[in-house]
Amino acid sequence: MAPEVLLSPLHRADGSATYTQNGYSIIGAVNGPIEVLRKDELPSEATLEVHVRPAVGVGSPKERHLETLLTSTLRSIILTHHLPRTLIQLTLQVRSIPAEDAICGVSAYLTLLPHLINTSLLSLLSSSIPLRTTVTAALVVSPTSSPTMPLVMPTAQEILRAGRIKHAHVFAFDGERKMVVCESEGSFTFEEWEEAWEVAEDVCCRDGGVGLGEAMQVDGQSENLEGWLREVVRRKVEGEQRWKSGT
Amino acid sequence: MASTTQVLLPGDTIPTSALPTPNNPKKPLTLGPGLRHIPPSTIVASIAGSLSTDNKKNAAWVEYNSGRYTPSANDLVIATILTSTADTFNCTLTPHTPTTSLPHLSFENATRKTRPQLPPHSLVYARIVSAPRDSPVELTCVDPSTGKSEGLGPLKGGMLFPVSLGMARRLLAGKKGGVMVLEGLAEKMGFEVAVGRNGVVWVDGGSVKNTLGIGRALQEVDREGLGERGQRKVVERVLRGL
Amino acid sequence: MPREAEISVNERAFIQEALQEKIRLDGRAFDAFRPLTLTFGDEYGVADVQLGKTRVIARISVEVTAPLPERKFDGIFQIVTEFSPMASPAFEVGRPTDAEVILSRILEKAIRRSNALDTESLCIIAGLKCFALRADVHIIDHDGGLIDASCIAVMAALQHFRRPDVVVEGEKATILSAREREPIPLSILHQPLCVTFSYFEEGEIFLVDADLAEEQVRQAELIITMNQHGELCQIAKYGGATVDPLAIVSCTTVALQKVKELTKFIQSRLEEDAKRRNVGGFMAELSAENAR
Repeated sequence: MAPEVLLSPLHRADGSATYTQNGYSIIGAVNGPIEVLRKDELPSEATLEVHVRPAVGVGSPKERHLETLLTSTLRSIILTHHLPRTLIQLTLQVRSIPAEDAICGVSAYLTLLPHLINTSLLSLLSSSIPLRTTVTAALVVSPTSSPTMPLVMPTAQEILRAGRIKHAHVFAFDGERKMVVCESEGSFTFEEWEEAWEVAEDVCCRDGGVGLGEAMQVDGQSENLEGWLREVVRRKVEGEQRWKSGT
Repeated sequence: MASTTQVLLPGDTIPTSALPTPNNPKKPLTLGPGLRHIPPSTIVASIAGSLSTDNKKNAAWVEYNSGRYTPSANDLVIATILTSTADTFNCTLTPHTPTTSLPHLSFENATRKTRPQLPPHSLVYARIVSAPRDSPVELTCVDPSTGKSEGLGPLKGGMLFPVSLGMARRLLAGKKGGVMVLEGLAEKMGFEVAVGRNGVVWVDGGSVKNTLGIGRALQEVDREGLGERGQRKVVERVLRGL
Repeated sequence: MPREAEISVNERAFIQEALQEKIRLDGRAFDAFRPLTLTFGDEYGVADVQLGKTRVIARISVEVTAPLPERKFDGIFQIVTEFSPMASPAFEVGRPTDAEVILSRILEKAIRRSNALDTESLCIIAGLKCFALRADVHIIDHDGGLIDASCIAVMAALQHFRRPDVVVEGEKATILSAREREPIPLSILHQPLCVTFSYFEEGEIFLVDADLAEEQVRQAELIITMNQHGELCQIAKYGGATVDPLAIVSCTTVALQKVKELTKFIQSRLEEDAKRRNVGGFMAELSAENAR
């Protein structure tokens, strides 16, 4: 199922998004560009601060690791030089995680990562902070039972049902099909990694996007994440400009 | 005007066919918010929205209505005074952003001996003189060529009503903005309005009820995306209630 | 740390003048709450409260642990509220603002210390094993009324939550999973709810459920927590302008009426949610076919 998105649901934040897919639900909020503390100030760029708040509890090294990953990923797509000596704050609140996530066999941080990346991008789009390009991410999981047929963006139940997992990867691509994030776990050959990369690239980027069958049907048409993103923005624009054709 | 809106994602290259065809071919292409130039001849979007062009001015920009206001030279804004130094007021245009400076002498009839007395948290209607990337934004409350306020200066009384940035732009665009609710109300009511591009409108309708009626009418038109008919209904309702 | 932006003198004067004319900016009555919506997640124990523009999510989670040595017969219950910049750039993670400290303290007194939750029922084996319940309160959007909204969220989440059932044989306890036995509701002894009163005009005027603008103009704040039976759990007034004690008494009457309305509202939402879940469960049982 294509991710469900609501853009700009919050009133205080400059940009926000709620994102739900496969049982993972995240609320993202962006404040910025705002004033930065002297000690964090960068003379020719914007400072980026990312907070990942888990559904339960207040955060552990796992959240800090995700924050570091997201900060460096997003820094490469935000036009930070356009906003020197300001602060961009991004907060991601995990609302829910499917019950099977803890036992499915893939690390919790890996299953959550693509959803955090997608929510971050949506929140940034909602905040109209200038970006160099977009970024979308997908999880690819290869079970031991069928190593040549990787699962792309599987649900936690599907991963659980597939049995032992040989290797799993998260890839993120920018609008120019360049790889921005690659996190892997398990044991795999270079060829297997390359294959996972190609599969993820097709899901994330347009032009020759491989349909995922039922997994990504939108109005009967197979779409990939780029197409989905464009549709989300089209709806945003329609909403903002409805006064032009309003009664 | 294009019949189909071209929806843009950051990173999209604008095809030459979508660029404006200038009435005067010698006029250089001006890029507005949301577009940037990558030499030698690529134009790329940096904000999600729809592409807008103006053939007369040979300008292109991205139209969007979300996010925080970013100061730009010549904008009319409503600023809140925070503190005062020896010769400037430190003001804010939006909460939590770096302060902007408004010199004491940038008011009508201000001299070194008679400076305007503005306590913290008072409001002024000002114009942005400059908004350079690397130094603080500067404001003024006078027209630099005439030395007169031309409607700028301290705002006394009244009330502030936040509106979307798009709505503020529409209000300042006159007829093109498609907002006729103020004219409709002005037929039966007297009031003063100051529109800040930073997403705030100041209204003084003389009484609490009037001011509230006008301000909330504007917010409703903004929030519901009302067209002409909807706005007329709002005007009728407000006038009936007063 | 960027402080909360202060309101302009024009807005302050206008709000005060309007109140003298018995007008609130959004047209509400002085004793009316903003529109309230309460939705539950798919999992048990997650309550999403929207009070006007303010939004708070509370989540209950449980784990098994050893009880505190000085309270061998009780389970553990803690409420955690940590503000994040999501709600407002004035909030910094790890640096509690006054608002955060007060919210934490009020929820502590209102819910924990008033024994809304029967912690004895969380005991599994005295002195050895008990359930440790945790309520996480996330402020998603801040437009005032955080205390009232958070209390509603936590109480609704507690009533919505289902904990695993336990089988105890002598010194051995087995926690049953959701598949083995239906999880059971918590033992809630009473339902305290908070109503915040904001004072203006030297204590002459008070409002219920002030939004952020009204909060910035108010001169004093009074938080009353009680349940629908009229039992008072706590009254808090942290400084601010003086208020006539008789006025406080009249506030408790208003508070009781509000608490009754809110309790009924939470109850109706819980019933709707139960029906929604039952429909699914019931129909699934009736159907012989499995979902393909």
